[in-house]
Amino acid sequence: MTTLAPTAPTTGGPTRAARWRRKNLTVDKVSFAAVFLGVPLAVYLVLVVSPFLQAVGYSLTSWSGFDDSTPFVGLRNYVTAFNDDVFMTAVRNSVTLVVVLPIVIIAVAVALASLVTIGGASNGPVRGVKGAEFYRVLLFFPYIIPAIAVGIMWGQIYDPSNGLLNGVLTAVGLNDFDSYPWLGDARTAMPATMFVMIWASVGFYVVIFVAAIKALPAEVFEAARLDGAGRFRIATRITVPMMRANIRTSLIYTGIFALDAFVFMSALNAGGGPQNSTLVISQELFKTAFTKGQFGYACAMGVMLAAITLLFAGAVFLVDRLTGGGDDLQEE
Amino acid sequence: MNQNRPTLHRRDFLRGALITGIALPLAGSLASCAAGGGGTTSTGDTGSGASKSADNPFGVAAKSTVAASIFNGGYGTDYVDYAASVMAKQSLGVTASVSAITNIAQSLQPKFVAGNPPDLIDNSGANAIGISTIRSQLAELSDVLDADNYEGTKISDTLYTGVTAPGTLDGKFLVLNYVLTVYAVWYSAALFEENGWSVPKTWDEAYELGGKAKAKGKYLFVWGKEAATYYQTLAIASAIKEGGDEVRLSLENLESDCWSKPAVQSVFTAMKKIVDAGYFKPGGAGTQFTAAQAQWSNDEDALLYPSGSWIENEMKKQTKSGFEMTGAPEMVVSSSPSKPYEAMHSTAGEPFVVPSKGANAAGGKELLRAMLSKEAATNFTKTRLTPTIVKGIVPSDGFGSTALVSQSKLLEDAGSNVFSWNFVDLYGMNQDQLVVWNTFLSGKSSVAQLTKGLQDITDKVKNDDSVTKVTVS
Repeated sequence: MTTLAPTAPTTGGPTRAARWRRKNLTVDKVSFAAVFLGVPLAVYLVLVVSPFLQAVGYSLTSWSGFDDSTPFVGLRNYVTAFNDDVFMTAVRNSVTLVVVLPIVIIAVAVALASLVTIGGASNGPVRGVKGAEFYRVLLFFPYIIPAIAVGIMWGQIYDPSNGLLNGVLTAVGLNDFDSYPWLGDARTAMPATMFVMIWASVGFYVVIFVAAIKALPAEVFEAARLDGAGRFRIATRITVPMMRANIRTSLIYTGIFALDAFVFMSALNAGGGPQNSTLVISQELFKTAFTKGQFGYACAMGVMLAAITLLFAGAVFLVDRLTGGGDDLQEE
Repeated sequence: MNQNRPTLHRRDFLRGALITGIALPLAGSLASCAAGGGGTTSTGDTGSGASKSADNPFGVAAKSTVAASIFNGGYGTDYVDYAASVMAKQSLGVTASVSAITNIAQSLQPKFVAGNPPDLIDNSGANAIGISTIRSQLAELSDVLDADNYEGTKISDTLYTGVTAPGTLDGKFLVLNYVLTVYAVWYSAALFEENGWSVPKTWDEAYELGGKAKAKGKYLFVWGKEAATYYQTLAIASAIKEGGDEVRLSLENLESDCWSKPAVQSVFTAMKKIVDAGYFKPGGAGTQFTAAQAQWSNDEDALLYPSGSWIENEMKKQTKSGFEMTGAPEMVVSSSPSKPYEAMHSTAGEPFVVPSKGANAAGGKELLRAMLSKEAATNFTKTRLTPTIVKGIVPSDGFGSTALVSQSKLLEDAGSNVFSWNFVDLYGMNQDQLVVWNTFLSGKSSVAQLTKGLQDITDKVKNDDSVTKVTVS
């Protein structure tokens, strides 16, 4: 386990800087920079940055998408978006997703990761529950199935007449669920869809958190246990604070996952669901662009989606900072 | 577990994570809007390489190649390959390269922007391009109708009446719809005979039949979430029979009270009675539509299903043997409707367009001419069990299909009383209407709420200046 190898202090700042001084630029270094910095940067500029700028430009036009005429209309597309009740429904649904999903996914993933790493027997070394390895593989399994396959599979499970879920529920005597449309009722469509998304992605974060917990010093857990801390207390007072950075990054990734959601939504309720209860921005954007032929307006929706994503990322960092997370941002 | 300090500084890592966090959604949401560089390659002539004559009505260059992008859906694409082989046998020896695509709008959008679209497009399927979007870039196809087919008859004389109407926008014939679609209420003739049921001609009879079905543990209707608007199609057809063309024109022109007309309301009320009686199989709003259709054609959980004539082909593999799928006209409300019970909602589907900027636009028209030849049309009907817009192809045995025979009979009975409408597809309203209809068929909204929901959707299109309206008279 821990071999306390003397970690060579990374001293020699000046020496390192000197290495990169101009006169020392050899062909080797220049070609290294060109290949590993220049090429990715060029690709990034051409394939990522320029489409962003282009899309912002198009969002100010009434371009149909199928010709080369791009009449400038100023901010009209944005005004339309705010007065478009269907689009605003989509925004509300996306915001609901981005508020609920990251918290639930991270909470479930932390709980499961704790179980398979430190939730085991309280004698002997700190370890996970019996069969932890098996559960880890099992939990990761849904993540390796392509999202579209997950969506189609759950669409069948939720089928009102022949689906597995209603079959099980009616078999145990809950006859109210005979032919109940989980995805066809505005009250349950969103929760049912969220469940599928959680099911499909939680395994990935379990793996991340398991790795994070394993990287923490075992002595801390042993000491806490000797002091009489229970598993729940260890999880909430020791594991979570020590994994703060991992959790913060994971929150942002789950937020992005929740804001996209296109594949799951298309597979489960392509049309936006009952009373548009599962319509998300990316679906509305796609429909506006390709079915309605309003690429300018669709680009405006895309810019707004990007803005919401940035706001979310900003909010995560702000909350983190306000709750004292700034400390571990200090250089160690 | 390890106590070494990470060599990658966490702060740097976080910065990277933040940038990734920002870049990923941006890439996803914005990059999809990217357009190709603006194309300025517009060849003035439409690829005419030869002078026009009776044998070569569009002046297509001999031995040239036609690029055709065909929607690969229920009908497949090999019927166009067949037509291309018919075309290749002609003296001009024009060949075609047929590419099968499913996402028409996504696949062809860059080509339209760059100004090099294919010569012939079957603009069909869920991701078809809205015709009003590319209207100005389409070649007029009236010369195809005026040309002679390969058998020497003027093409317009070989077609069913009214089939060019859906493709005519403000007087210009731009879209040739190849497949004839007959809308009807479909049932199993065998099942009806076995139980001594008769096909309902009015909504009251349908209600009574619902009671009889219930006694047998069956339902009257079934629906699927993506196809809830099939009941709107049924309702509109029934309302047009009741109230006449006035109802149709009011809807087509998006009038502000079009859904409140007495004829429409009487149909909605009749449907509501059937919904409330529980004669619709519950759970449709959560059922995938082909699964719902199989509950009708395979499980026989429901007696009737309103649909277009593609239903036989679509459900071929999921139809009980000895089902004898047969179509009947839509129910009427009263005993004295404006149009007779036998009047038919029939239209042409599978919209083929020829972009005027195509490199060989004349060739695109030539391929259409080949498709409309007797040989190619017979091949389509025989292999797809679906009539094309070309008359006189279906033999009396319907190539062994009861559905095909019943379609011919329906058209014969209807005579000149054939009608259709365009506004739902033209303005892309179906998606929004599905939501309203799923709610109504689930029994969760009243006739008034249904009417308001539909009127709101119609008004939204009417009040949107950016949508070009087509006036129908």
